[in-house]
Order: sequence, then C-alpha cells, then structure tokens
Amino acid sequence: MNRDSLARKAVRSILVLALACVCAVPLYYVLVSAFKDKVEMMRNPLGLPSHLNLDNFIQAFQSDTLGTAFLNTIIVTVFGVIIQVLIGSLAAYGMTLHKNVFTVVMGLVLVVAFAVPAQAVMLPQYRMEASLGLVDTLLGVIVLYAGGCVFCYFLIIGYMTKLPRELLEAARIDGAGAFRTYWSVVLPLTRPILATVVIFQALGSWNDFLTPSVYLSTPDKRTLVLEIYAAASTYSTNWPLFMATTVIALTPAVIFFVCCQKYIAAGLVAGAVKG
Amino acid sequence: MSHTSQPREHRHMSQTAFNRYMPVAFTAPLLIVFVILTLIPLTNTIWYSFTDYNGYTSEFSFVGLSNYVSVLTDPSLLGGLGFTIMFTVASTALVTVFAIWLAVVLNKQFLGRNFARSLFFFLGVPAQAILGLVWQYIFSPLKTGIANSVLTIFGLKPLAWLADDNLARWCVIIVAVWAQVGWHATLYLAYMQAIPADLYEQALVDGANSRQRFIHITLPQLTPAMTVSIFLLMNGGLKVYDLPYTLTQGGPGYATNTITQSIILRGIGQSEYGVGSALSVLFTVATLIILVLQMNISQQVDRRFS
Repeated sequence: MNRDSLARKAVRSILVLALACVCAVPLYYVLVSAFKDKVEMMRNPLGLPSHLNLDNFIQAFQSDTLGTAFLNTIIVTVFGVIIQVLIGSLAAYGMTLHKNVFTVVMGLVLVVAFAVPAQAVMLPQYRMEASLGLVDTLLGVIVLYAGGCVFCYFLIIGYMTKLPRELLEAARIDGAGAFRTYWSVVLPLTRPILATVVIFQALGSWNDFLTPSVYLSTPDKRTLVLEIYAAASTYSTNWPLFMATTVIALTPAVIFFVCCQKYIAAGLVAGAVKG
Repeated sequence: MSHTSQPREHRHMSQTAFNRYMPVAFTAPLLIVFVILTLIPLTNTIWYSFTDYNGYTSEFSFVGLSNYVSVLTDPSLLGGLGFTIMFTVASTALVTVFAIWLAVVLNKQFLGRNFARSLFFFLGVPAQAILGLVWQYIFSPLKTGIANSVLTIFGLKPLAWLADDNLARWCVIIVAVWAQVGWHATLYLAYMQAIPADLYEQALVDGANSRQRFIHITLPQLTPAMTVSIFLLMNGGLKVYDLPYTLTQGGPGYATNTITQSIILRGIGQSEYGVGSALSVLFTVATLIILVLQMNISQQVDRRFS
C-alpha cells in the first residue's frame, strides 16, 4: 500500500479533503452564522462574518434556561450512566461466577431485554412514571436510562469472561468476599471496557431527544437538546441567535470528541464484537 | 491441626453455597430493572392492545382485534410505517455502500488523512435532533437558504425542499446518511486495519488488481463488520424518531411520520392508548422478525466467506 506514487497521493488528498469540506459545510454554516446579524446572514449565508460580532452569544447566554439545561443534561447523563454501568457490570460479574439453571434463564431474559425496542414499552412506562409522579422530573428520566444497563452488560461480559481466573481465585484465597472481589479486583481490571462503555452511553444520554421530549415539559427541566429544540421555535425569526445557541451547545461535544476520539472508536468496535 | 482445618472446611462449604447464590445476588438489580422497565410494560402493552383503554379512566372494554385493524387501515399510521421502512432500507443501503468506500479511501495514505478521518467521524457525534434543526435552516424554502443558494449558483430555481412528500423523505434520508457515514466508516476502518497485510502481498504477487483485491480480500474480510454495522443501522432505522421529527415534524402531511412518532402521538397525545399499544406490539414483532432474518442472513454470508 506504500507503493502509491506521490501524484496519486496528492490527487487523493485533494479529492478526499474536498469531500470532507463539503460534508463540513453545515457545521461551518452554523459557526459563521452565529457571528452575523439577521440581515448579514440573509445576504451572505456562506461568507465569513464581516466582523467579530458577539451579540448573539451575549444574548444566548442571557437566556435563563441555557445554564440550567447544561446542568440538567449533566445530571441525567452522570447519574444515568453510573447506574447503568454499575448494574450492568454487577450482572456481568455475577454471570461469570458460576453456571447454573439460574444463569441460563437469566441469559434468555437478557436477550429478550435487549431485543424489545424501548419504543414498544414507552406507553406503559409513561403511565407508570405518571402514577409515581416522575413525569417532568429529572429522576424520572434517570430511572428510564437505567434500562441501558442491558446494553452495558453485553459490552462488558465479553471482556469480563476473558479475565484470568487465577486473579479472582487469588482474591478469594486472600479472603475477599464476592463483592469485595468485584469492587477491588474485577472493576479495576475491566477499566478499559468500562471507560469505553461510559463514554459510549454518556454520548447516547447526552444526545437523547426522545425521552426528554416525551417526559420533560417545564422549561427549567429541559436538557440541552430540548433547549436547542425550544430555541429553534422561540427564535424562529432570529436565525443567528439559534446558531449561536447551537454553537454553545455543541462546544462540549467538540471538546469531548477531541479528547475521547480513540475511546469512542474503541466503543464502536467493542459494541461490534458483542454483536 | 484440626483446629486450623476446621474453619477451612467450613469456608469451603460456604464457598460452594456462595458460588451458587452469587449470580442471583449480582444479577438481581438488572433483573429488577428488566421486570419494571420491560417485562411489566410489555405485558401491559399486549394486554391493552386488545382494549379501548384511553390511558386514564379506569373503564375500558375488550375490543378484540379492532385496534390492529385501525393500525393497518389508518393513513397516518400507514404513512409512519411506510416511511420508517423506507428510511431503514435506504439509509442502511446508502450508509453501508458509502461507509465501506470511505473506509477504503481513508485507509490509504494521503496528506490530511487524520483530519479527514476525524471530520467524517465527528459528524456522528452531535445529537441528531440538533443536526435536524440545523438542516431545517439549510433546506429553507427561501432563496437565501443554503440548499437553494447552491441551486441558484447553477441557475436552477429554488425548491421548497421540505414541502414535497418525496423530496422531504429523501432530505431526511440524505441528512441521516451524511450524519452516519463517518461513524460507520470508522467501524469498517478498524476492521480493515486488522486484515493481515500478507493477504494483500500474496494477491499482489499473484497479479491481482486493486478491484480484485477489494472484492476477493477486503470485502470478505469485512463481513463481520458488515454484520454489526448493518445491525446497528437497521435497528436504529426502525427506531428512528429524532431526525425526522426535528427536520420535518413528520410532514408534509404524514410523509415523514415515523412509527415512534405515531406511538407517542396516539398513546400519549391523543389518548388512544389501545391503538398505540397495538402499534407497539406490531412494531416489536416486526423488529424481532427483521433482526432475526438479518442475523441469519449475516451468519450464512459469514459462513460462506470463512
């Protein structure tokens, strides 16, 4: 593969980068529009802004709910993911401990849990949450996110079965109980897959629109994606303000991506191995 | 002697018991989550799909299969079903073809390769709901919208992109492909990098050209990746909601309505709980059938190539 001539590489560079630029136009459009006023955005949609106009950002930050939305998103993501990963990894550990009738039945349960689409059980879940007063609360969303533990389980189990049995044996001989072994031996040893699962699931919760849009209605309960959705209708005549809000909301995603690109890719592949 | 062996014996006994009950203890939280969030709701859904329950009053009666008949005759529900299937098939096919092509290209050497890889991959990171909103501005019917500006450059008339049934459907599909191609290309790329280099060396010695190498080495070696990628795409496609909802709100009319949107609208918005439940049941069954079929086909393809 290193046999390609320099000319070929140059042509390839130009073509692929050109395609990448075309694909990046929507992101570029959001970014430049955020620095324009309404008239300029209409007159010159794709050009660079005439000057560094921060009015839209100032106005976006003045919104009462944007900060709250950030906080809400962090809350549902952090708690949702911790619960999922904890329950999923506990179950994975339990399933590797011993094989008996129970684990066989449990294996079937897990497949069913994985196969039933979340949408199919949405109506009874909604009614259940309504009867418990959980609709329009962050706790209600976190409870629903706990369902992601099944996916976590499938990602973690493959890695966990490959752990050297001797290490668990050694912990047992040293007098560690089952939970102690899980907490101080198994969890640290499975850290790579846990990191992957956490990042993957966090991305999913952070970006989720379905659950928050069905469950959260009060403005101060909104997650970030809902906030942007609301901004789109509130600022339907003020496009640049919407674009600035979107830039602010996407900034964490960009930072996250730059820091964790490797892990996200690893998560894709880990999820793949499981499938 | 006996003093020391006594506790060890005792310990051995408890260890066996411990092993037997530990799986139960450790999987209990997951089991509870399953019962509360899946099992009970699922039985509920099946039960209420045969009733005229409206979601809040306690009175309801059994109506047999009439909810199922409504699902299969109501134009808005059929619209949702039709578009969801169209979306799933089209986005799966297009993403698969483009992602494999992109992975092949991104696996070759050129200047700016890492930048290109990151950029395509990044498109899959922002929430699709946000991307849908952004594209709504891009597909603006005004002359100043980006899509229409491009048409104007080529001397074409501006289009009302999201106002025509078929055009709107393809707009949603194209945005979905745009957002997902890099993500799936990354997956293919990871598998491609694991293909043993000597396979290609050997093929070169045998005089295979690049097309032959792609068809006889790369593609067969990628079948496991295709299984996964296609599974993810079909699964995500059937459950699609965010992107069509934020881009077109399911319109014009019911053209880009999705099954998920119909379930929410009927079951929660319009208190037609029974109809929503029947739709949910059909959706589950359809999802299971499609996924089992897909797994079987993938397995057969895998077997043929390995």
